Amino acid sequence: MLLPHPNRFLSGHLKSRRTNVFRCVGVFMVGLAIGLVALVTVPKGFAEEEPTQPEPTREETLRAEAKVIFKETVQPFVRKYCTDCHGSRPEGGINLESALKDPGTTSASLHWRQAVANVRVHDMPPEDAGEVPTDEERLEFLDGVGKLKYLAPMDPGQYVMRRLNRTEYGNTVHDLFGVDPSIGNRLPDEVEGEGFLNSISPLQSEIFLELANEVVEQVVSPTGMLPTEVQKNLFRETPADPNEYRNTARQVARRLTRDAYRRPASESELNVLMDIFVLARDHEMDYQSALGMVLKAVLVSPQFLFITPVEHTVTEESIVALDDYQLASRLSYLLWSSPPDPELASLADQGRLHEPGVLGSQIERLLEAPRSRALFDGFGAHWLGLRGFADQTFDLEVFPELTPELREAMLDEVRLLFQSVIDENGAIFQLIDTDYTYLNGPLANLYGLEDHVQGRDMQRVQLEDRNRGGILGMPATLATTSLPNRTSPVRRGYWVLERVLGETVPPPPPNVPELKETEQKNIEGLTLRQRMELHQSEPTCANCHKLLDPIGFGLESFDAIGRWRGVDDVGGKIDSAGQLSTGETFSNPAELKTILALRKDAIARNLTERFMAYAIGRPLEGYDEVVIDQLMTTLTEDGYRMRTMIKEVLSSYLFTHRKIKG
Amino acid sequence: MKDRTSFDRRHWLKGAGVSLALPFLDSMSWASGENSSTPPVRLGFMYMPHGVIMDDFWPSEPNRFLDSPPPAIESLGPILDQCLMIKGISGVPISPFNGAPHALELSTWLTATLPDSDTRSRVNIAISADQIMANYVGSETPLPSLELATMPQTWKENQEGLHEAYYSHCSYRSPTQPVPAEIDPRNVLNRLFGKSEKFGSVSRANPLDRQMLDRVLGGARDLRRTLAKGDRLKLDEYLDSVRAVERRIAAIENRQKENALEKSGLRSAGRDSNQSAPIEISIPEGDKRSEYMQVMCDLTVLAFQTDTTRVSTYIGSTPNGVSYPELGFTDQHHSQTHHENQEEMVGKVAAITKFNIDQFAYMVNKMARLQEGDGTLLDHCIMMWGSGLEDGNNHTRKNLPFILAGRGGGTVNTGRFLTDLRGNQGDLLTTLLSCAGVPLDRPIGIATKQIEELKTKSARGSQDG
Repeated sequence: MLLPHPNRFLSGHLKSRRTNVFRCVGVFMVGLAIGLVALVTVPKGFAEEEPTQPEPTREETLRAEAKVIFKETVQPFVRKYCTDCHGSRPEGGINLESALKDPGTTSASLHWRQAVANVRVHDMPPEDAGEVPTDEERLEFLDGVGKLKYLAPMDPGQYVMRRLNRTEYGNTVHDLFGVDPSIGNRLPDEVEGEGFLNSISPLQSEIFLELANEVVEQVVSPTGMLPTEVQKNLFRETPADPNEYRNTARQVARRLTRDAYRRPASESELNVLMDIFVLARDHEMDYQSALGMVLKAVLVSPQFLFITPVEHTVTEESIVALDDYQLASRLSYLLWSSPPDPELASLADQGRLHEPGVLGSQIERLLEAPRSRALFDGFGAHWLGLRGFADQTFDLEVFPELTPELREAMLDEVRLLFQSVIDENGAIFQLIDTDYTYLNGPLANLYGLEDHVQGRDMQRVQLEDRNRGGILGMPATLATTSLPNRTSPVRRGYWVLERVLGETVPPPPPNVPELKETEQKNIEGLTLRQRMELHQSEPTCANCHKLLDPIGFGLESFDAIGRWRGVDDVGGKIDSAGQLSTGETFSNPAELKTILALRKDAIARNLTERFMAYAIGRPLEGYDEVVIDQLMTTLTEDGYRMRTMIKEVLSSYLFTHRKIKG
Repeated sequence: MKDRTSFDRRHWLKGAGVSLALPFLDSMSWASGENSSTPPVRLGFMYMPHGVIMDDFWPSEPNRFLDSPPPAIESLGPILDQCLMIKGISGVPISPFNGAPHALELSTWLTATLPDSDTRSRVNIAISADQIMANYVGSETPLPSLELATMPQTWKENQEGLHEAYYSHCSYRSPTQPVPAEIDPRNVLNRLFGKSEKFGSVSRANPLDRQMLDRVLGGARDLRRTLAKGDRLKLDEYLDSVRAVERRIAAIENRQKENALEKSGLRSAGRDSNQSAPIEISIPEGDKRSEYMQVMCDLTVLAFQTDTTRVSTYIGSTPNGVSYPELGFTDQHHSQTHHENQEEMVGKVAAITKFNIDQFAYMVNKMARLQEGDGTLLDHCIMMWGSGLEDGNNHTRKNLPFILAGRGGGTVNTGRFLTDLRGNQGDLLTTLLSCAGVPLDRPIGIATKQIEELKTKSARGSQDG
């Protein structure tokens, strides 16, 4: 048997790095950023007031400082060590020459991010390069690049009007018209949240029309039959006098669109619907059926399918605050995957939703409702890589116990922990390290706690085993990073670094060298760990694998579906002791967890960045990082609390504003 | 909320198997009576990721292609004379995205273009070859194009900071607009032949819907005037897609009208005696991948046979997370392709490749048995099967594997194995569109020329200048 290449353990091979993680190594200018916090909570009229506010001066100071650091530290480093290869004919796609020209732009920040990841792990400059920087030079460079964000202009980013995704569509027709939300499943599968494809194709439009027909069929009774309850509520009585039809139909359309367009319709929008009412009447449809046709038109209109701004947003400004109706929709779809409820709608009508006190208490209210489980389904499951878990392939001959019911319980365990930390406004790092979890009978079996927990219902369980408790020791997350028939320490290590700690791990080199013949000796009977350690002798791999592997080895005490084990698949004794690249040593998963949970700032920052990207529907870039710094200041002072994080993100400048020009 | 379940547990397959004939449909009668016309060329693409085992795939020598074909294409045996294998077509060089071989193998496949590197977190690539064709011929059929896939397009992974969609989409209606694919055969049937209340029957399209949509479009144009630029572009996508729906309704109405005329005897059906009737579709009972893929292939055949569309793509498998339980493999396709020449893994990759080609062969063999005009349906098609990598083990893309089937209305010179072509993916796509009669104002992606070698003499002549 030949020795498998280490990359094989990483089934995605070049498992991606996310684009939106700014790993600012070094000091964040926390103290200096405090002055900026005030800006974040000013939702309206910021852009025009900028020149007269004292805060921008603060920002200008930082910008000036960043310019100096760029000139004195970053530029010389890059010229000396990088641009020979990463110049105008860039190797590996990293063009630092163009980044030097315009260091504060979005495209430059991408190049910087890659450069930082590689320089930090000593992957670059390569060891065979003529000159290699000292450790001190490296740190200065990393620190300097971390400050280039201040060169980016203040900018909330574009927020293009967004189409409802299939979950939101289903919930919306349910809330408004009492239709079963599963109707949305007829739309093509799609990625929701960050990575959502905000586009619409003929296929989708065809289905939207079909679904509209179906909603109307369910809501509007055929002529001669008694109207449905929803119909009575929406269309009211047919007026006795047919001369009144147009008048009352317009009133119906006005009420209908207030909910369906999630804002008041303009008179010209109502005129369009009235044209359709007349069209239907001209074709011999009775009053109620003609209104059914109006309803159908509403359901295929862009104002319903997209979250559109109120009219008259034509303005000279390039950055505007979201109007209250958009803000209500954005909040409600984010936290509930549903349209605004009457309370939110009424606050939008009063124009009060954006007021800081009102906004904050509404976020609290939305989080407290059971519907906020949408936040885990939409965001949490994505974050932890669990969205595809229900359908992930496992070798059922190796793991016959992995039934659909058990998978559901495994997923529920993570969800309930996530929700409990929100509900109790716990610290974010509690997700990593807790002394409780949620189990039902089948899942307790996996834990070896079958004597304590029985039945199908999930119940909160106090844990004595320190190896458990928190997402590092949970069957669902341990399984999602496994291969169909065994564990993958590399994938686990990568998952922890990337998803939990928010680090950027450089991808394997494009042409992975073949392993040398001499290394392929006597591997029979070695544990997975022992085999993998052979690879660390390959220098091109070792730089990164020494980051990934120790964490993965530390979790080897859990098998591919998260059961505790003492020996591995080949019968070798599990050795889960190790040392992190940062020096700390551990002898079991519990100790590893304790060490990692101490990285409170990194854990909280990672979750904040990911949640922000999810909330604004795009990867973070440029100025976003400055805003994140400001949030982190507040968050640190508050003990990294989960709800505080959510509230800060949703009240932030980035969430409440949008760029409409440029 | 749970996703639609994955392939092997998909719910539509549970329940009774259904067999469906479409008596209300006629296959198009291209060579009948006074309205004699030549069938149009149809173009279909079917994809498999991760490359092939080369020794298994490429014919050993050019002049023995017909009598000693390579093992991977065994199932094409009956129609080898109507197939063409071409070696020497290179893929798009992926630098600066060297860390994203799999995200790009599918998205460059029909675009022959790299994503824009400054806006990589958004989709920004190029219109794909199938959509170029759809723009040209799409208005003549109920559907501009048909996009099918086996797996949902929700793989969430971004290599090199590239948007996830590059992982799962091959069709792009514009540089920023990936076209989603349908994975449920029932929905595809519905799309092709109108809404059916009861499976297998068709209700009339509501004649008012088109007029209603027309007014909604008018209102949307009013809204457009009040929007900011980015919002306007988004609304344009909406307008474009709704116009396509209008055309589809009109085409279905038209078809129903003709049907009624024929039924009442006011017009003769004009079906040629040697014209094959529309094929039957049966939805299988079990959850075998092969049966599922064959339904999707049947739907493509039926769509072409009834001239419901003239261009199709079928992503038979996606670049990640896919295993082949039907073949007894729980390992993922991807991990097996990094086989380092280990016998067992090489064997698995060869079997997976053959499995995929078998499904393609099922489709084109069927097309070759259906009479159309003065030949067969396949005679008027160009069906391409291929992968986005040559060798998954090393991620090479120097000689991408392709099989072409069908003579493209007499434009493709089949029955041969062409080696050493020295062309690229863009050249190939440009050539195929030219064979399908699509005039191009510029070459596709990285193309610099057409691959004249694969055309018939007459097709070469007609494309001069």
